[in-house]
Order: sequence, then C-alpha cells, then structure tokens
Amino acid sequence: MSLEQFKNRNVGTQNYRMLDLDPTPVTGWDKFKQVVRRSLSLELLVGLKVTLREMIKALFFGKMHTTKYPFEKLPIGPRYRAIHEMKRLLESGHYRCIGCGLCEKICPADAIRMDTHYGENQRKEVSEYTINFGRCIFCGYCAEVCPELAIVHGGRYETASEQRASFSLFEDMLTPIDQLKNQKEFPGYGSVSVQADKNIKKTPLAY
Amino acid sequence: MMSNKTTITIDGIECQAREGETILNVARANGIFIPAICYLTRCSPTLACRICLVEADEKRVYSCNAKVKEGMNVVTQNEAILEERRAIMEVYDVNHPLQCGVCDQSGECELQNYTLELGVDSQHYAIPDTKRGTADWSSVLHYDAGLCIVCERCVTVCKDMIGDAAIKTGPRGGDPLDKAYKETMPKDAYSMWNKLQKSVIVPSNGTEYTNCSDCGECTAVCPVGALTEQDFVYQSNAWELKQIPATCAHCSSGCHIYYETKHTSIDNPDEKIYRVKNEWNYQSLCGAGRFGYDYQNSHVTKDKTAFDRAVAALQKADTIRFNSVITNEEALMLQTLKEKQGVKLVNPEARALQSFLRYYGEASGQGIYPDDFKTIMKESDFVITVGAKLRNDNPNVRYVFNNIQKMNKGAGFYFHPVGDTLVPTFGKTVATFEHKPGEEELAMYLILDLFSERDALPDSVRKTIEGYHETRTKTVTEKVMESVTTTEVDKETGEEKEVTKKVPKNVEKEIEYDHNGLVEALGGDAENFGDLFDKMMKKKESFALILGEDLYFHPRAENLARLAALVETACGMKLVMVPPKSNSLGVALICDLDPEVEGYVVGYNEPGDFALSALGTGDLDMPALNQQEGTLTNMNKRVVPTNAAIEYGGYELNDLMNGLGLGKTLTVDWTASLPADRGFQAIDFDALPNGYTNDGQEHRGYALAVAAVQKNESKIVPFDESIVLEGEIAYRCNPQRQFNDFTDKSHQIFEAFALCASPERAEELGERVTVEFADGSLELDVVAEERISGNIVEIPDFRSDKNIYALFGDNRYATVTLRKGS
Amino acid sequence: MMEVTYLGVIIKAILILAIISAIAGFGTYIERKVLAFMQRRLGPMNVGPYGLLQIAADGIKLFTKEDFIPQNANKLIFMVAPIITAATAFIALSAVPVFPDFTIFGIFVPSIAADVNIGILFVLGMMAAGLYGPLLAGMSQANKWGLIGAARTAAQFISYEVVTGLSLLAPIMMVGSLSLIDFNHYNETHPWMVFMQPLAFVLFLIAGFAETNRTPFDLLENEAEIIAGYATEYSGMRWGMFFIGEYANMITVAVLASIIFLGGYTDLWFIPGWLAIILKIAFMFFLMLWVRASWPHVRPDQFMWLAWKVLMPLAVINVVITGIVIMV
Repeated sequence: MSLEQFKNRNVGTQNYRMLDLDPTPVTGWDKFKQVVRRSLSLELLVGLKVTLREMIKALFFGKMHTTKYPFEKLPIGPRYRAIHEMKRLLESGHYRCIGCGLCEKICPADAIRMDTHYGENQRKEVSEYTINFGRCIFCGYCAEVCPELAIVHGGRYETASEQRASFSLFEDMLTPIDQLKNQKEFPGYGSVSVQADKNIKKTPLAY
Repeated sequence: MMSNKTTITIDGIECQAREGETILNVARANGIFIPAICYLTRCSPTLACRICLVEADEKRVYSCNAKVKEGMNVVTQNEAILEERRAIMEVYDVNHPLQCGVCDQSGECELQNYTLELGVDSQHYAIPDTKRGTADWSSVLHYDAGLCIVCERCVTVCKDMIGDAAIKTGPRGGDPLDKAYKETMPKDAYSMWNKLQKSVIVPSNGTEYTNCSDCGECTAVCPVGALTEQDFVYQSNAWELKQIPATCAHCSSGCHIYYETKHTSIDNPDEKIYRVKNEWNYQSLCGAGRFGYDYQNSHVTKDKTAFDRAVAALQKADTIRFNSVITNEEALMLQTLKEKQGVKLVNPEARALQSFLRYYGEASGQGIYPDDFKTIMKESDFVITVGAKLRNDNPNVRYVFNNIQKMNKGAGFYFHPVGDTLVPTFGKTVATFEHKPGEEELAMYLILDLFSERDALPDSVRKTIEGYHETRTKTVTEKVMESVTTTEVDKETGEEKEVTKKVPKNVEKEIEYDHNGLVEALGGDAENFGDLFDKMMKKKESFALILGEDLYFHPRAENLARLAALVETACGMKLVMVPPKSNSLGVALICDLDPEVEGYVVGYNEPGDFALSALGTGDLDMPALNQQEGTLTNMNKRVVPTNAAIEYGGYELNDLMNGLGLGKTLTVDWTASLPADRGFQAIDFDALPNGYTNDGQEHRGYALAVAAVQKNESKIVPFDESIVLEGEIAYRCNPQRQFNDFTDKSHQIFEAFALCASPERAEELGERVTVEFADGSLELDVVAEERISGNIVEIPDFRSDKNIYALFGDNRYATVTLRKGS
Repeated sequence: MMEVTYLGVIIKAILILAIISAIAGFGTYIERKVLAFMQRRLGPMNVGPYGLLQIAADGIKLFTKEDFIPQNANKLIFMVAPIITAATAFIALSAVPVFPDFTIFGIFVPSIAADVNIGILFVLGMMAAGLYGPLLAGMSQANKWGLIGAARTAAQFISYEVVTGLSLLAPIMMVGSLSLIDFNHYNETHPWMVFMQPLAFVLFLIAGFAETNRTPFDLLENEAEIIAGYATEYSGMRWGMFFIGEYANMITVAVLASIIFLGGYTDLWFIPGWLAIILKIAFMFFLMLWVRASWPHVRPDQFMWLAWKVLMPLAVINVVITGIVIMV
C-alpha cells in the first residue's frame, strides 16, 4: 500500500469560509481605532440579539430543548450498548448460552464469571452466571466473542445502584420466557454477520 | 545397553543420538517439531495416526517407529508429506462434533492444534456419522465416544505403562468407506480412515466397565476431550486454571504433578483444586495421585489458645509420634527438637527402612541404595522384585516392572507370598513365586544361584546354594519328525505315485536335569524351571533387583540386607529399594528414630496425648501437603520441591518451632540446612527446579549423593526355617489407591478400610470378620479383590487412628485368627 | 412633606434589608432561569413550582454546609472579609431612594433611609470600601488563586472607581447636587439624563459592571483562569455572604442607573412612580444577566487598557464638554 491515499487529503468538497479578520493593530492609535470601530458597529448588540431571540423562541414558540429525564426518556437506538441481555433460542425457548466461557476469558475488566456443570441431558449447563456491573466497561467484547449470539448489549442504561459491587444474575438478563416472541435481533455484534451466507464453506455432506 | 552415539541430520541440523533411538525422539530432544498424535514417549509406537511421517534418506518412514542409522538424512516436511498430513487431519475432523465451545479439552486439544498447524480450512471427505454415546467406565473415568479419534494412546499407555490393559479398540459399526476414495485420497490418510471408521475404544473385559486400577492415565494422555475424569466434566475451561507445579505426597514415588486451581464458584473466591495433571510423556501417575487431591485442611484460622497449648505440649513432650507424610523440612524441625529437647521420635515405617539401610550400609559401604528406578526403567531388561507388593506399595514401581517387560523386551521374577493375578500378565517371561512369608532369604539365595559367578560368593553361601541342587530325571515329550511313505493317486492323470512325507510325532523320553531345591521351596516348578530360565535369559544384558517393605519389616532384616549387598556385588545387579511410605526415605535420612513410644506423646498426624493434625481432627490444625511448601525425598533419591496450591490460614510446624525459640522465618528456610553428611545439598528452596526438558530429562530438585559409610563385615547367617509363618496369615497392605489418611479424605477415592481377600477366600469369610492378633483384635468388612489369589488376607494401614502398626509389630505378616461375623 | 421620624427610617431600613436580601436570593433564581431560557433550557424545575423553592434549598444547603477555614489562613481576617462585602453593599443602599415616600399606619416612610446631602458620594464611597471584602479574603486564605484574585480586585476596583466617579461628574454638574433625591426631582422637570448625557450613561454602565464583578468583567473569580479567585477557599454561608453582597451591589447599581439616568421614580405617563422604578431596576438587572448570557470574558490586560486608555479619557472629555456647555 502506498502512502498516496494518506498524502492526498483533498477528500470530498470543502465548504470552509475564511474568517474576515483585520490585521492585528500594532500602534496604540490603531488599537483605539479598532475599539471605536468595533464598538460603534454595534457588534456587541448582535450578541445580545441572538440570546434574546433564543429566549423568545424557547419561551413562546415551544422550542425548549430540555427533556425532563426521569419523567421523560428519549428513545434510544436499537443497538445501544448498555446492560447485557441473554437471548433465548426462538424455536425452543431454551437459553442460548452454552457455557463456553469465552466471554469470561475475553472480558478486559474481569467482570464476568460463570459456573458450569455436567447436566442431566449430558450437556454442559450453566449453573450460575454473573456480570459485575461495578467493573463492566461496556466494551462489547463479550457480545462480539459469543459464538452462540447469546449475550448482547441491551437498552437498559440506568446502572446506578445502592451497592458499589452490584451484580447481575443470569435470570435478570435472560429474556423472560413469555417475552420470547418480542425478542429482537439487530445487525451488528450479537447477530449473524451480513456476509454469513457468503462466507460459509460447503462441506461434502452429500448423503 | 546400547549407548553408541550416532549422528544424523534432521532438516539440515546435525543431531547426536543413541543407537536404537527413534527419529521422533531424537527430533524432540533437539527441538525439531514433528507432529505426532498417537505416539507416547515411553511406550511402543502404535502407528495409528501416521502423521509423524518423514522422509529418511528419501524413503518414507514413520518417525515414531524408525530407528536412527549413522549418517541418516531426515526431512521432516516437504510438499508431499504436508499433503498427506493435511489429509490425515481432514479425516480426523470428519464428523468430529463441532462443540469446542463446551469441550473440556478446548484450548489444550491436539486435534485443534494440529488442524490449525497443518492449515486444514476445508473438508474434502464425508461419510454418514454413527451414533456414539457417552459411558462412565468406572467411578472416575468418563468416555465420550463421539469425541474420540481412536488414536489409541489410552490403549497403549494402559498396556505398556500401567499394565492393566483394561481397554482396547472395539467395533464402531460405521459404514464402510466409499471405494472411490481409495484412488483419490493419499494412501496413509485412507488406511488411517479405514481403521478409524471401524473402531471405538471399549473396556477389554467385554463388559461396560473397566476392571482397572483407576489411575486415570488414559484421561491424561487423551489428546481430545473423549476421556476425562468424571468429576471434571464441564467444570472449567482449561485456560481458566492456574497450574501449580508440585510433588505428589501419597507414596514414595514422589511424582511430579500440577495442581490446577481456580476460584471455587462465583460466590466463593477461595482457591480450589479442580484436577491434577502430569507430564505424561515423562511421568505416569496412579489413581491416588490423580484423584486424591482435595485433602486440604480448609477454613483454618489462627487459634492462639490452641497454639499456646501446643507449644506447652511440645515443651513437656517425651515422644513425638509422626508418619512419613511429612516434608524434609518438617522432619528436620523434629530432629532439631530431639537434639535440643531430647524428645523421642517415633515413626515405625521410616525406622524399619532406616535400620535396613544401616545394615545394608555396613555390608556394602554405601549409605543408600546406589541406583534409581528411572535408570532401571530405561536400561534394564531383567527385573526381580523381592518383598514388594508391586500393585499396592508403589504404583510407579509396578509401572517400571511392566514397562521393562513391554519396552525392553524384558523378563522378570516376582517373589511374593500374596498371589497376584495381574503381575503374570505383564509379559510372557514373567515368573511369579508365591513363597511362604519368611522365605525371602531363599529368594535371595536363588538370585545368587542364578545370576552370580560362584567364585565371587563366600564359601558358606556357596555351600548353602550347592546344597539345594541335585540331579534328577524327568520325562519330557519331544517332537520328532518321522518319514512316512504313502501311495497317492494323481487326480488329473490317474497315475499312482509313492510320496514320502515328514510327519511330526511325539515321543516321550527320560532325561536328566538339574533339580533346584530353592525353586521348589519357593513354590516354583523345579522340573521345568531350567528351560524357562534359559528362555528368560535370552539376550539379557542389564539386571535389576527391587527390594520392598516386607524385607524392612522382617525378623531377619539384617541378614537380608547383607544378602542384598552380596547380590549387588556378586551378580552385578542394579539395586533399588522401595521406601515404605511417602517420605520414609527422607525421614530415615534426617531423623534419629526411636523404637518405642514413651511418656507424654505429641502426635503429628498420628494419635497422641496432644495431636497436631492436618486432617482437621487434632488439637491444633496443621497444613496438609497441598497447602505447604517444602521438599520430599522420593524413591529415585531426588529431593524434589512441592508447592502450596491452597491457602492455609493457620499455624505451621515452623510457627511452633518459633514458639519454642527454635524456628526460622519460613519453613523453606530449613531446606538449605538438610544434613549434608546424608547426601543432601545446601541449596535454597527457591533455587530448586521442578520440571522436565523436551528430551525427558528430569530437572526436579537435586539428586542425593550416595554417602560412603564404614563397612562392617559380618557373616551371612544360614536360613532358619523357624521364622516361616504357617496357618492363617494376614498381610499389612493397602488397597490400590489408598496410602494414608489423606487419600482416604479425598472425595474421589472410594476404597474402604476393609479386609481384602481373593474372591474365593472372601466368600468363605462372609461379609464381616473379626481379626484376632496376638495382642488385640480388629473388626473389618470383607472385600473381594479379583487380583488377589491364595489364602493370605490383606489388612490396610492407611488410617492412623486404627494403630495397625502396633498390631503387626515388626513384621508385615502376622498369624491371625479370623472369625466370621461380629 | 411630612416629618421624617426614627420609626419611619427603621421601617425603611428593615424594608431595604429584607427586600434586598430576598431579591438577592431571588436574583440567583432569576439569573439561572434567564440564562437557561437564553440557552433554551428550563433551568431549575424540581424544587417547588417551577423550581421557585430552589433558593430555599440552596439557602439551607449554604447554612448547613461545613464552615471550612484553611489551616494556614489568617483566621480573623478570613472570617471578617465576607462580612465586609455584605455590609458595605447594604450600607450603600441606605443612601439610595428606592421607592417614593409613603405612609403606613400613620408613620411616614421616606423614600430614602438617610437622605444625606452627599448621597452619590456616600454610595460610591461605600461601594469603593467594598473592595476590602475580596481583597482581604483573597489575601488571608493562603491560597495562590485567592492571592491572584485579591491582586485583580485591587487593580480592577480602583481603576474603575475613577471611571465611575468621572462619568457621574457630568450629571452632577448639571444637577448641581449630590443628593439622589435632587436627581430624581431634576428628572421631573427635564428629559431623562440618559438623553442628555448618553456617553456618561454608557461609561457608568461599563464601570458598574466592573464594580459589581459581573461578566464580562468577572476577573476576580474567573474560574477558567483562577478557580474561584478570592472565594476559592470559602464555603457555606461565608461564601454565601459574598454572593449576597454581589447581588446587593447589582441592585444598587441598577437603582443608581435608574435614578440618575432613567428618570427615577417619577410617574411615567400612566405608570405610577413606584412601578416605574421597579420596572427600570428590573430591566437593568435583566440587562446584566443578558450580557452574561451573550458576551465572553475579557482579558485582564485588555480590561486595564480599556479603563485607563479609553474610558477615563472619554469621561474627562465628557466632563470638559459638559462644563463648556454649562458655562456657555
């Protein structure tokens, strides 16, 4: 790769306008003239006009910006990366997590821990799973590494708690079984990649 | 043996090699990588995986099998070899479940590694899968046939190293391969697949359960997640575990192990041992070592009042009773107590070894036996054990005995009063002698008879031996070829023809032979012994004698030690002894031991008026051996370090020494002070290595020097028949995986404290018996042990509170009365 | 004209104290609200209806906060300094007529608590004495930011005192009295002073911003440069007194500007005098907030340059021209 594309910075069209600056005054007389010119050109009043205009807009034309947060909430994007969610399989309703421990390994804050055991159906089962939200830095690695698309980030962003070390258990994060049909998936980490069909290799399972 | 050096070239690198070594081992020793899945360093090549394919002098050979030749030029990889290997890995990946996410082996899986290493990124072969389920082979083994790649490493190690041969390949019931593959596929990959598609691993006794010693070595060598320890299944990913190099303290073998630890659970951050691993290419474990790891003394805090009482108890103690589950450092502390405060130190098993070593030293001038088991295993091809219960006393000695039969094309004598059905299966040239207890001296005479130059023997001994020989006649059946002439009709031509044929015929014949009365006395077949022995002696070059605990606890121990020294010099044999318990050798070398308990007794892991105990039952808690640092002296005469795997919050023996004003800052500060005149070296604990190099060299601690001692010539006493025991006999011997209170405490070791007998004898005795000794009696359950034969019953000693040593006294055998029921 | 009694003066004094203190507190609420609106925010909303009780909450907070005195501070002066600021601000108000005269329960309450005949001089003098508050506070607290704040106090207050005095000199020459009552009466017969002395008004306004330490001239406690300047180490009610003093001074300046330049409490068309002055004061107060919302700080050097090289000469010229006009 050459350095060409780094050196050539004329990317796109530029709409910059240079500031119309006077030369910096040197002598005292020049400075005085500048002050007089600026004062008498009523530039200062323009500033006052702007603030007054905004105030009038806000008060009388309903252009107030404030959202009264705990009472009103802004809608957030579906890919918002807040408190984790544990997904279920859409067909069977069984939770997707297989207890592989990759999220536990990759977590840079060492916030995830899991206990697993040999289940009755001879499968690996998760006995207990926690994320310590006192330590979680919401980097999203766990969702990225999950081979089963089981752990993803969700929209629950209110993480304040009375306890510094606040834990979240598997059941808290798991999609409630009655909400299964509302479980949504979005492109990005925690879902099948866009080119999944293209990238997959055929194996000769002809029978 | 063969120690001629040759030079070969591997990938352009000149390598020194011993003649007879395989290319693979030479490459490994020189840091050259050749992939190999089915090969185990100390076992015979299986040739199942065929991936170690190389070109030697432009000919394709399997490097695990091919011996080096002078000037050989080896190429480990070229285009064709890589193609073949890639095809083999592809075949291994056919129908292998894609469940790495949950597999216990993931992260340390050789299938993963080699698939990646050989760049397998697509699959060209396919066949319908066969349903393969999981099975629990025993109380500890878990087999998932779905994951198995049938490399047969488990089969090989069980046969060549462990000696159980408890598993074999069985039918899989898979479809036959498509014929078209034969033309299109690389040859080796095809034949490997052909075999793979037909087999899985099954217990070799035809049932669903293995009848084996539950050592778990098969789980250690398994390259994939097919064979695992039952309790570890799906418990933790391999990469979460912290490996702590340590030394197993259950028997005198002192094997190198790794404790693998992690926090117990989400809400319990305490370290917990999840499993024990070993360097299986260089060291095999037994069931106690692998499964007996959770014997720690947990939740101990510093109890100051108990500590103060312990200090007071030590101050007024007359005797300290302890056992061999103790580090060298602690033994040295106790010896210091003896020197400073004049307490008696009592440890019966170590004292027996100590006396035997002293007798041996007086006869031979050496303070300790001169050889070690590792050398014997590598070099000897004729091994003799006297007085060692091979299966129970020390599993690694059994592995040595077995491995010599398998790998060195060896032969062996096994002298023991208790019949064993397993030992004869180790090899075709293994002879067992079920002699009577007390006849061990005769065994030594027989060895002298068979292996020594008569001139090298003292006159008295020579005369004794000659006294047993006489010439007798016996009838033998010989095969003689006889010429027989018959008339035959040619079918095509119809012509009659006379044909002369040679036909074998059995002829009985009387011949003279040398009748050996020693063989007869020891319970052998004197008539055919001569022929058998000739067969055994074929191509044998290196001989070894292994002495066991029976000889240390023997009324004629002194005489036996002298005979052993004589065997060593007169027969040119390597000589080793099996220390009775964990660190008996270290204790015997460090402490001056006293015979009898007297006055106020402080017990360390033993009963006493004041008990220091790592079992959590004493008056003051002590750390168990997986909770403390220190060194142990193993049977290979190495001083090996062990490390703490689990937190310990209480007081240690060193703290008590500090309480008495005799301590040092840390327990391991004592390491450098171990007595140099007994062969120890002044090396700091932290400077002791604990591992193996690629070519299998052991870098663990240091080897004891053989100290010279004053020779004290004294005559060998003739054999006295009065010490031979007759009648109902009990033998002090633990079940296979039990050695002490600590193995008993471990949750995966189930063998009960019970009387073991051969199945026939057990049936006679019923479920429960009272064993009456000369002084005292004991009530025990009866367990039938398939591998025992004969009438002698085994009584375990692994529980210190039962005080079994007192019942048996100075002999490992006792005449007892067995009464049914309670 | 009724007689001025002690009772009336006391009522007036209490009225001023109560109202001005309340307004000072209320001023903070207004300021936050106005600034918020100008940024299209809501400002305080949660304490009381529309956040009205926010002042009470803040008051409680200030009263209950830990009264912290740094270890190396000069404790006496540290404690006295905020009192100087608050006291001078209120004393200055005593010579300022706030409402027209009125009678309550038969007691005549004068428009001014102390109608001293040198009213303006007194007010200016008191406000000048207020300089000691920040100056001593900054110097006593053993903190480098405080010290810088103190230094800036001295420079800023003394410089702009000159401008204030000179800018008011021209109106004083025209009225011929220093009493603010006379100024108010002058307005009844003449056009508002602002039309006759526009330059003086502008100069007074600028100097007033500077003396009350308001944006764009709040260099004493410019947090971007010197943390909180002279108030760095202050907390709780001591800090609150600086705050009250500042707001009282703002009101003083607003009242002075209203009386001297904007016609005072004379009736304006149909609007009664008392309402007219409230509206005028309110506008002046709002102007201060408005300016704060709109304009950035100036640099200290620009600020001093402005005082001595621009404003002071202009003020002198204004006085000279006024004098010539009066003579002619």
